[in-house]
Amino acid sequence: MAGLTRTAGAFSVTPHKISVCILLEIYAPSAQYLSYPFHSVSEHNRLGLYLLSLTKSCDDIFEPTLEELLHQLRGIGGSMDAWLTGQLIKRFSSLSSPDDLMTFFNEIRGILGNGFVQDDQIILDPNSNLGMFVRRCILAFNLLSFEGVCHLFSSIEVYCKEELCYSAQYGASDKNLESLTQYDQMDMEYVMDKATEKLELQKNACGSLPFHLHTPEALFKVTEGLLITRKEKLRTSKKTTEATPVACSSSSTVEDTLADESLFLRTNLQIQGFLMEQANKIEIHGSSFSSSPIESFLEQLQNLAPELHRVHFLRYLNKLHSDDYFSALDNLLRYFDYSMYGRYEIALLCLGMMHFRFGHPNLALEVLTEAVRVSQQLSNDTCLAYTLAAMSNLLSEMGIASTTSVLGSSYSPVTSTASSLSVQQRVYILLKESLRRADSLKLRRLVASNHLAMAKFELMHVQRPLLSFGPKASIRHKTCPVSVCKEIRLGAHLISDFSSENSTMTVDGSLSTIWLKNLQKRWGQDMFSHDSGSRKSSIFFQFYDRLVSIPGSVSQLIGASYLLRATSWELFGSAPMARMNTLVYATLFGDSSSSSDAELAYLKLIQHLALYKGYKDAFAALKIAEEKFLTVSKSKMLLLKLQLLHEHALHRGNLKLAQRMCNELGGLASTTMGVDMELKVEASLREARTLLAAKQYSQAANVAHSLFCTCHKFNLQIEKASVLLLLAEIHKKSGNAVLGLPYALASISFCQSFNLDLLKASATLTLAELWLGLGSNHAKRALDLLHGAFPMILGHGGLELRARAYIFEANCYLSDPSFSVSTDSETVLDSLRQASDELEALEYHELAAEALYLISMVYDKLGQLEKREEAAALFKMHILALENPQDVEPNMA
Amino acid sequence: MVSKESCRNEIRAAIRQLSDRCLYSAAKWAGEQLVGIEQDPSNFTPSNTRFQRGSSSIRRRFSTSESITTPQPSVGFSQAVTPLPEEDEVIDGDLYLLAKSYFDCREYRRASHVLRDQMSNKSVFLRCYALYLAGEKRKEEEMIELEGPLGKSDAINRELVSLERELSALKRSGAIDSFGLYLYGVVLKEKGNESLARASLVESVNSYPWNWSAWSELQSLCTSIEILNSLNLSNHWMKEFFLANAYQELRMHTESLAKYDYLQGIFSFSNYIQAQTAKAQYSLREFDQVEIMFEDLLRNDPYRVEDMDLYSNVLYAKEACAALSYLAHKVFLTDKYRPESCCIIGNYYSLKGQHEKAVMYFRRALKLNKKYLSAWTLMGHEYVEMKNTPAAIDAYRRAVDINPCDYRAWYGLGQAYEMMGMPFYALHYFRKSIFFLPNDSRLWIAMAKCYQTEQLYMLEEAIKCYKRAVNCTDTEGIALNQLAKLHQKLGRNEEAAFYFEKDLERMDAEGLEGPNMFEALVFLATHFKTHKKFEEAEVYCTRLLDYSGPEKEKAKSLLRGIRMAQTGFPSMDIEHFPL
Repeated sequence: MAGLTRTAGAFSVTPHKISVCILLEIYAPSAQYLSYPFHSVSEHNRLGLYLLSLTKSCDDIFEPTLEELLHQLRGIGGSMDAWLTGQLIKRFSSLSSPDDLMTFFNEIRGILGNGFVQDDQIILDPNSNLGMFVRRCILAFNLLSFEGVCHLFSSIEVYCKEELCYSAQYGASDKNLESLTQYDQMDMEYVMDKATEKLELQKNACGSLPFHLHTPEALFKVTEGLLITRKEKLRTSKKTTEATPVACSSSSTVEDTLADESLFLRTNLQIQGFLMEQANKIEIHGSSFSSSPIESFLEQLQNLAPELHRVHFLRYLNKLHSDDYFSALDNLLRYFDYSMYGRYEIALLCLGMMHFRFGHPNLALEVLTEAVRVSQQLSNDTCLAYTLAAMSNLLSEMGIASTTSVLGSSYSPVTSTASSLSVQQRVYILLKESLRRADSLKLRRLVASNHLAMAKFELMHVQRPLLSFGPKASIRHKTCPVSVCKEIRLGAHLISDFSSENSTMTVDGSLSTIWLKNLQKRWGQDMFSHDSGSRKSSIFFQFYDRLVSIPGSVSQLIGASYLLRATSWELFGSAPMARMNTLVYATLFGDSSSSSDAELAYLKLIQHLALYKGYKDAFAALKIAEEKFLTVSKSKMLLLKLQLLHEHALHRGNLKLAQRMCNELGGLASTTMGVDMELKVEASLREARTLLAAKQYSQAANVAHSLFCTCHKFNLQIEKASVLLLLAEIHKKSGNAVLGLPYALASISFCQSFNLDLLKASATLTLAELWLGLGSNHAKRALDLLHGAFPMILGHGGLELRARAYIFEANCYLSDPSFSVSTDSETVLDSLRQASDELEALEYHELAAEALYLISMVYDKLGQLEKREEAAALFKMHILALENPQDVEPNMA
Repeated sequence: MVSKESCRNEIRAAIRQLSDRCLYSAAKWAGEQLVGIEQDPSNFTPSNTRFQRGSSSIRRRFSTSESITTPQPSVGFSQAVTPLPEEDEVIDGDLYLLAKSYFDCREYRRASHVLRDQMSNKSVFLRCYALYLAGEKRKEEEMIELEGPLGKSDAINRELVSLERELSALKRSGAIDSFGLYLYGVVLKEKGNESLARASLVESVNSYPWNWSAWSELQSLCTSIEILNSLNLSNHWMKEFFLANAYQELRMHTESLAKYDYLQGIFSFSNYIQAQTAKAQYSLREFDQVEIMFEDLLRNDPYRVEDMDLYSNVLYAKEACAALSYLAHKVFLTDKYRPESCCIIGNYYSLKGQHEKAVMYFRRALKLNKKYLSAWTLMGHEYVEMKNTPAAIDAYRRAVDINPCDYRAWYGLGQAYEMMGMPFYALHYFRKSIFFLPNDSRLWIAMAKCYQTEQLYMLEEAIKCYKRAVNCTDTEGIALNQLAKLHQKLGRNEEAAFYFEKDLERMDAEGLEGPNMFEALVFLATHFKTHKKFEEAEVYCTRLLDYSGPEKEKAKSLLRGIRMAQTGFPSMDIEHFPL
């Protein structure tokens, strides 16, 4: 909290607090005061609990109006409701002059029972929560000047007047309402049903999609049209804006408070807590958060409290997320100009990150360099650690596409010592530095995120000696999965730190609100639903989650570690592990994470679906995900869609469509914002594959060759391996098995050194195919190779890879002269059938036709004519589908 | 040109009407202009001459004689569009008289209550105006009562809503006079409805141009030249005053000066015009002239406090301690609780190097007026002097937030951050300040120095900035010297020689000497020698010989080398022979 202290004056008396005091008086009546005869102890306790929650939430920025309070009371009160509300209103109406307020507070003093006590009187312990609240109220009132009392008095008048107005209106319109509701009852019911149904659907789609991999039939029908027309898109986007309850509700409450603002002064603490909450919301929802209502709110808040400088920071955040460079810059500078004393390095750090986000890496680097210098000067090690981390992040993000000349102009001691090193090495050094400092300063969050960054680095970059002396020193290229796992593990230690610490690291003012909400929720449970047993676990989790209250940033970090785990397993080639980690992320961290991370998780799951379950499921899931993430800017959903459509088209043999998708991908890769190298590589890889499918071998080989050069130039090692495999594939298809062999072998050795097991298995398969291509006398050798790779392929491979392996196995047996079909037909037939089943799901016509062809040949040999015809018919169908892909899928246009 | 007599008659009537409606500051302003009109020699009265005598001798020195007889500026206006204000209701109602007395005693609510059922335009206006002022008074009280730790509270003038309702109803029915329109404009402005407020004020001044308060409100709503040009104002000599003032606020000083020059033809003794002219001249940095004008002004109007802070700035810039202390003493005796007075005293202490005291007085000024722009900036300067950079930054930032066009504060921010060792961060602020004042060489030089710092070391950018500074007629001659040195550092000797020569020319013209001179001469001599332009080299060497010191020896050895080279001996530097 910048320069703001929590003083005793941070607690002010408001009409709402007076209401609470009145209720407290009823709860624990003083001797001379007429008390309500409570029917039972539990009734009394219920009121007590409610009051406790009210006092706990008194630091919240939103104070309920009298009307809301009465509404809540109705929910709590049961039989005592009427009496309670009546009493409350009566008490308020008895306050007719400022002097009455004085007497009121004098009376309140009586319930603390510091005088003599009668036998049956219930006393508030002055040190209990409720007692403290009363004492604070009395103190705050006593501190008020006469003007203050007058203001309180006039705000009470308004507080009560609103309620009276409301109830009068309510009474008048009551009759109308009744007739109306009766008339509309049926309609309403219908609508409600619809709405809940829709909600359920959405919930299925969002929350538990991963569990229901077999998407319901109905849902599937809805999403059958694979491409959404523009009109539909519009409609969905409208729907999503309607269905962002967070944004809407918060903005509406925001408006409400503003209306109230003129009545009640808020304390520092309340406003700060509220601002923190808003900042979190902005960060989590990213650009899907509608920025204008909050902006206008912030503007008003700034008018009301010009010394509250944190508002500027919030405005900056808001502008940052709505991509308004100039206002963001303006507000950032303003915020740091006002927040005095020794925070300049932080200003620089923020400025650097801002430039980075807006895509000015060079500016960002200059600013961060200055931040390093200033934090060294002011010996602010914490900031230095953060700055170094930011710098390494910056370098690793832009490093791939940048050349070293970018870094030439900086004169920082840190960067200049490293100026002879490559960008990757510099990233490594910076990370190490940052990690060391963070470790010694016990900045656990930074340590965790640095570990994660390190894991990412280890995963993506080849290790070699940092400084190479002599020509032979830098030969060793490899990655080390153990160190990746270690880093991730270290990163995840954070959560245990936080839970073991029994921490109260909460956002000021926000915990109390949650408290009240939870309490209300629990009552709702008790009163309205008796079958809560089935849902207990999820509610328990919510409770646990909230009460332990792990800060949002921590849970985000932990979530990120799961995502990174998924990615690393994806690369190392363990599909189940990857899927599991993504699922963990999507279920546990989906709420607290930023929308772009959540999107990434969905993306991974959909990709997994496409690879392992076929396209139907994938497209259905994509449809749902698209609706969910449509509002996210720079959404990757479009990308995923293009990828899926491309694969699909390739498999179905619709090459024109495939080509078009390729081109669109290439377009996405180089936007006005800059070139995305990874995407560019992927686009040309896909292009080469399309050319290969079109049997234009030499062109495909050309594309692949230049792609390899690009990968080499930008040091993209993993992509290199897959390009090599593609080249081998091209040579295999073109019938040049001899030429293909070295590529396949090179790819295998790459995979080995980078631990890409799945890719290696698929390269081994290609190698085996190449051997077989050299002649049937190599069948034995090919089969041995295949069997070596089989466990990996069957355990982790996708549908296509598995089917290919099965077919190839059959091929090997069939071409082996020593193998006789008639005696051992089941070996071949079984794997072929398996292959054709899987290819069916994938709609891969070409391979499916091959499998069926082999099946029918085998049946032919065996003399089972009926089965042969059956297989042949299927074969024909696939061939036809392959030859004219267009008319099968009119909806693909 | 408007006849002076008609002007005089118009103003006389207007003053009566304005003060009848309790629009006192407008009446005051009009009164000042009324005496500002030159008297007809025919009806001199002794008192008149006494009033005007003192000024004439000095004024003649600056108000050039042509300006009085100049042909009219391009915006010549057709005259007598507005009829002379009629005297409405020669005899005020009794209730009105009572209300006005209450008003004069600052019992606003009582005044408005007395007039509750009166329907004449005048009564309605006074009632609304009194109500408005009552609301303002209460607002200011509440502001102090409710002030929280986070600054100003949400105190508002609670009368605005009802006033707006009533006035808009009156306007719709057409039963509103120009004073009502003025009040309506003020209310709308307070409510944040600027365009409507502008329209209402324009209507008001078009029907009754003599209300200077309406013009000033209108001016405060003209934040850009586009808005100003879009106003549909009918011609009147009051419009010229308005335009002159508006131009000044929009930093179009020469246009503004032209207008004032023209107006001085009629109102040749107006203190207001003189002060405004001085203000414009101050912005153009004509300090000598401004000082004389203010001296003159004080002689005529010795108890004036308005605009005197500007005079103190001039005295500060000229480091006239005694004069500044005299001024401070005078305003202190006149009215010590004016923000201007505090600011002047602050300036005095600053000049004496007592920065803590200066800050105290600036703080007091700000307490009296939170939006006092120059006090914030000056306080920032003081904090910089006290090496309290964070406080300086805070003060400057407040100035900038009050008026984002204040280039001084932007510049101060840049300077403060540069002091903090954050040159890259500072650049943004320098850029901002240059944006608002692109023709000031000092700003360009500051920015260039920022680029030159060893942390950034972006020499090419620094050179660009210095070039701009040279184009803006850099009076202190830093830019040329730096340009030459930078080029020298980058090994571009031709360019370096060019700038050294230019710098030399400048110093010769101003009759300056110093280390820069030696440096330039030495460089040029060696440069021309190495390029075998011996004649030029000799010229520079002989100039160097005029001075004593190591440069003289250097020149001698250079000359020897030149002679040697000219006579065909192999060129060798005698000095470098081992002895």
